[in-house]
Amino acid sequence: METAVLQVFRYDPEKDQAPYYKEYEVPVEGTLLNALLYIKDNLDPTLAFRAFCRSEVCGSCSMKVNGKTKLACKTPMKELVETWKGKPLRIEPLNHMKVIKDLVVDIDKPIEKMKTLIPWLVPDPRVVPTDPMHESIIYPEEMEAYKDQIHCMLCFSCYSACEAVADNERYRGPFAFSKAYRFQVDRRDIETAKEKRIRYAISGGLWSCVQCQKCLYVCPKGVKPAEDIQNLRGQAVKKGFTDKPGAKKLKHFVDWIYATGQINRLYLPEEVYGNKEAREKLTKAYTEMGVEVWEVPKPTKGLMKFRDIYLEILSKEDKALDLDYSHVRKIDKMVSDIFKADICTIVDKAHEEGRSSRGLISKLKGLLGGQ
Amino acid sequence: MVKVGFYQGCCFQGQDAHMFETMKEMFKRIDVDVVLLEETTCCGGNTIDEENRKLSYAINARNIALAEKEGLDMLVSCNTCYMVIAKAKRALDTNKKLRDEINELLKEEGLEYKGTSKIYHLLDFFRDVVGYEKIKKAVKRPLKGWKVAAYYGCHVLYPKEIAVDNSDNPSSLQEILKALGAEVIDDYEGKDACCGYHSFYTDKSMTLKKLNRILGGVKKVGADIVATPCPLCFKSFDIYQTNMENPPRVPSSFLPEIMAYAFGIDKDKSGLSHHLIKVEKE
Repeated sequence: METAVLQVFRYDPEKDQAPYYKEYEVPVEGTLLNALLYIKDNLDPTLAFRAFCRSEVCGSCSMKVNGKTKLACKTPMKELVETWKGKPLRIEPLNHMKVIKDLVVDIDKPIEKMKTLIPWLVPDPRVVPTDPMHESIIYPEEMEAYKDQIHCMLCFSCYSACEAVADNERYRGPFAFSKAYRFQVDRRDIETAKEKRIRYAISGGLWSCVQCQKCLYVCPKGVKPAEDIQNLRGQAVKKGFTDKPGAKKLKHFVDWIYATGQINRLYLPEEVYGNKEAREKLTKAYTEMGVEVWEVPKPTKGLMKFRDIYLEILSKEDKALDLDYSHVRKIDKMVSDIFKADICTIVDKAHEEGRSSRGLISKLKGLLGGQ
Repeated sequence: MVKVGFYQGCCFQGQDAHMFETMKEMFKRIDVDVVLLEETTCCGGNTIDEENRKLSYAINARNIALAEKEGLDMLVSCNTCYMVIAKAKRALDTNKKLRDEINELLKEEGLEYKGTSKIYHLLDFFRDVVGYEKIKKAVKRPLKGWKVAAYYGCHVLYPKEIAVDNSDNPSSLQEILKALGAEVIDDYEGKDACCGYHSFYTDKSMTLKKLNRILGGVKKVGADIVATPCPLCFKSFDIYQTNMENPPRVPSSFLPEIMAYAFGIDKDKSGLSHHLIKVEKE
């Protein structure tokens, strides 16, 4: 029978001075949870870990394998051996939580953090009948908005893998934001509660998420916390919480992409942090390296039609921000000043001049007498 | 000669146009003709999703449709562009209603999203289309004695649906660096941490902490340079590093640059001499 070596984290704070690793040889069959149960039954009854349902429902058995978060009952041993090509498998408790014993961690902290985001329904009396004898109906199409989020089983895989939790103590955790978002899109929930959740989400680190997508990867239930966080950010901006750098960054993206088809890195520091020197510094650094600096992106070919698509969607859909037309006009003016042409005609003109963008600018400079 | 459509995003235009020229020249040496998809726009940077997710899907349906119009597969270098475009493709391929609705809008420009073009990132393109052997053969100046730390970045490994390698234990970047003759270091503190690029304009402190983790780890293992296939991770390492209180001054390279250098293209043309943190190694 094929076997593999598990190096299991062992620590009993009441007895051990420091954690240590103990090796166990286990059969390569079934899941990682089967292997741990094999150890417990045949090799070492003192090993502590949480597990219950064995079928990806209770969320108790998440842990780390060579640093990567896994739900033990969902992870085939064969897959682990193949992934790690015969290397020993180091089994450790989840990150960011105190170890109670061996692979068992204290989940109180993330639970407390989650509670700060009001992860429950605050009924709107205009929608939810106060008389308990009356049904409060939800239609299937309404449930579409939160059909994934309700599967969160609090396994804390995302909390363990989260890049924001690692570097921001206050950060509430991916699952907590998904739990909150679930009620933000529930018609029965009262508007004042939705407003509060946004405030608490912001103070709980909504803008600290780095969007690494690890939470999507590790979630055993297909919840997409990073995407829920994007949705919550959109809601925050829509509700008028526009003072945070992240909200200004969003505005930069919405306006510049509409106006030119591109963002403009030269103007990001100014528009987000009010830092005007950054543009000059960057320009200087690039010029010193002999790199031509473009104050505005070359307008994309087909820009006018691209704008139509953009507007068509924004006019029909729920969105965080309205286009700031005065900003767009300013950008248009910059573009037409640099290219000495109207924004509607410059696109074709720019593209007739040459394929390479560098070639283009030198040609244009030639045309304009080196301006 | 393999022909592929190149998606530039924001990293290969304007003042960064030279990066595309390096890329094109480097690809020539391994018999790949990269055709710039000029009419494409910014992918939305995973930020437009905060405004409206359908807008992000529509922008990228248009981007992909432009490659399809040319009858080409699409090659993306930036991890984030890759992730955003690959996610959009998945959404469009699995949701007919969404696809039809967006195609209705694309009609005006004479475009249609069909789902016929494959989306490649540099890493799987090198592995599956070019092949490591071909890269090895193109090397004129082996990176002998270069200790190179391999850094993948997040958006080529997560989420699983769009990953180009084994998300837990990837190997393509090490294989490419090995083919260049470098000594590859793939086990160091912070190798899995996020580069912090995307939080620079949402929570700057987060970026600086991430850089401290990764570049501190790279320094500790004594690597000469850290190489990444993602131009954003590279920008975070090279540009944002200078925002740190005590920058460890770890040099970095965007993967195509170090490949170009190994293929015999000089330091200036490969882009390696244009970094804020100088690449001293010869």
